[in-house]
Amino acid sequence: MHFASRILLLVVLALPPAALAQQRIASLNLCLDQILLRWVDPQNIVSVTWLSGEDHYRRAPLPEHVYLNRAQAEELLPLQPDLILVGQFGAQRAAQRLRDLGLNVVAIPDAYSLEQLRDQLSALETTLGQLPPLQKQKRQLAKLLAAPLPPAQASALILSANNITYGDGMLEHQLLERAGFSNLAAQQGVKQLGRVSLEEVVAAQPDLLVFYGGEKDFAVAHLATRHPALKNYIDSGRIYTLPEELGFCPALVAAEVLEQLTDKRKSFVDAQ
Amino acid sequence: MLTRSKFVLAILFAALPLALIAALLSGPVSVDLGAALSQGWHSDSSDAVILWQLRLPRALLAILVGAALGMGGAAMQGMLRNPLAEPALLGVSSGAALAAILLLYYGLAWQSGWLLPALAIFGAFCAVACVWMLAGRGASASRLVLAGVAINAFLSALMALALNYAPSMFAMQEIVFWLLGSLANRGWDQLLLALPFILFGGILLYCARNYLRALSLGEDSAASLGFRGRRYPLLVLLGIASAVGAAVAVAGTIGFVGLVVPHLTRPLVKQDPGRLLWSSALAGALLLLLADIVVINFVGAQELRIGAVTAFIGAPFFFWLIVSARRGQQL
Repeated sequence: MHFASRILLLVVLALPPAALAQQRIASLNLCLDQILLRWVDPQNIVSVTWLSGEDHYRRAPLPEHVYLNRAQAEELLPLQPDLILVGQFGAQRAAQRLRDLGLNVVAIPDAYSLEQLRDQLSALETTLGQLPPLQKQKRQLAKLLAAPLPPAQASALILSANNITYGDGMLEHQLLERAGFSNLAAQQGVKQLGRVSLEEVVAAQPDLLVFYGGEKDFAVAHLATRHPALKNYIDSGRIYTLPEELGFCPALVAAEVLEQLTDKRKSFVDAQ
Repeated sequence: MLTRSKFVLAILFAALPLALIAALLSGPVSVDLGAALSQGWHSDSSDAVILWQLRLPRALLAILVGAALGMGGAAMQGMLRNPLAEPALLGVSSGAALAAILLLYYGLAWQSGWLLPALAIFGAFCAVACVWMLAGRGASASRLVLAGVAINAFLSALMALALNYAPSMFAMQEIVFWLLGSLANRGWDQLLLALPFILFGGILLYCARNYLRALSLGEDSAASLGFRGRRYPLLVLLGIASAVGAAVAVAGTIGFVGLVVPHLTRPLVKQDPGRLLWSSALAGALLLLLADIVVINFVGAQELRIGAVTAFIGAPFFFWLIVSARRGQQL
């Protein structure tokens, strides 16, 4: 074998297999859209869902050549993708149709806890190869999961749209706990999602009141967070707003949110 | 009979403060009402905040909105001389809600001040004017209801369309609020926003009470008594639009109050359309406050929309009225 051929073979072997195989990637899931747009070379993306074209959900620049699909099999066929990413629940019929037609469709699990987030990142790594931002996020997450749970030094309560709060078993609860907050909803026996009235919020007197998105557009669903009864919390800076991405794609922001929540808890402890 | 009517009205009047106390005692959190009252408005204690900032404005808003809807219904039934006329049925509420939706979801924020009720009133006025023009002067009951249903359906469809394309994540879900109404999470800001417009509407309707009385004798008789021209109908329309539009802007579309309440109180005021205005306002306020107490006590944080509760309370009364009418009484 010639020297040049050997060098070429070494280079080929050194590259992650996915990076070679997948030049035309499509996604049928909003979270996977955002991951692709942020972490993968735009030239390798052929299609993302139409939601990623909406200002509300767009978190990364959208290249002009990317086709915005509505999860219809016939939209994706002419694009000839060599990898189609789908989520765990949405667009299952289109995914099955595309599989039947012989296309490479890979389901990436959704993440509703830190452990599931680790599994999601592993699945992405297996499918897309060792992308540097993905590796970084994975390392950050592994570090978070390895660290012992800090003792709770302050209390917090999440007040989301339609008076929904997050209890035990949710990613948001885990982030609060790992930041050193005790989640009052979980203490009151809320499993996963629960409802909390404004009266209960005022009576519970959490140190930190956590809102969840909803700053941009008006919605009656977010009326509780604008109520004057919570003015004290807003005036004294005892609020934190979880980014909306945490709800639809925690892989993008979970580590950052945890860092900010930890800083918030430290500021409370310092103030005391 | 007169004594009995006055007695019933006195009971209604006395029941309102009692219902207000019941509303202040109702909620998911147990509050020491005496302590909260003595701590005063500015106290930061959770009991005081719950009483002064959450329960009191909500209860007062229920009274205000209920009074606006009751009075609006009475005025509309009087002006159109139609027992089926009601602000929601004839598209007034939908017109106001559509205007509020366009402003809130596509325009300015909730804190847009006077613009929100003003635009809702404009929407309500346009809707009722459309129904009036579509049905024509002196329209029969069936033609009027047909025009009202058509305008209402069209406006409801426009509301759904506007919310469907709204940038809010919760847009479709929000349709339920605008169609069934809610008093949850309301505070002094919404109360103060609606109050002047509802009072203004009430004053206009009070000024038109003699016109409504004359109109009960027929349009020609009313004209012969000096109530001719478009001035008086416009006064009533503006009054209804102002009161109901402002109520809808802050609490959504709450049906049934405006339809049922005038029928309930009409025998108590000897069928007098003038006195019916304030008796309907009183009964509407009481009905909506009681409905809200039911919502708070029996449904919890996952609140049933108050419009559904008013229908639950109001519909059996209406059934009774219909059965009474079948027995030979006038509806």
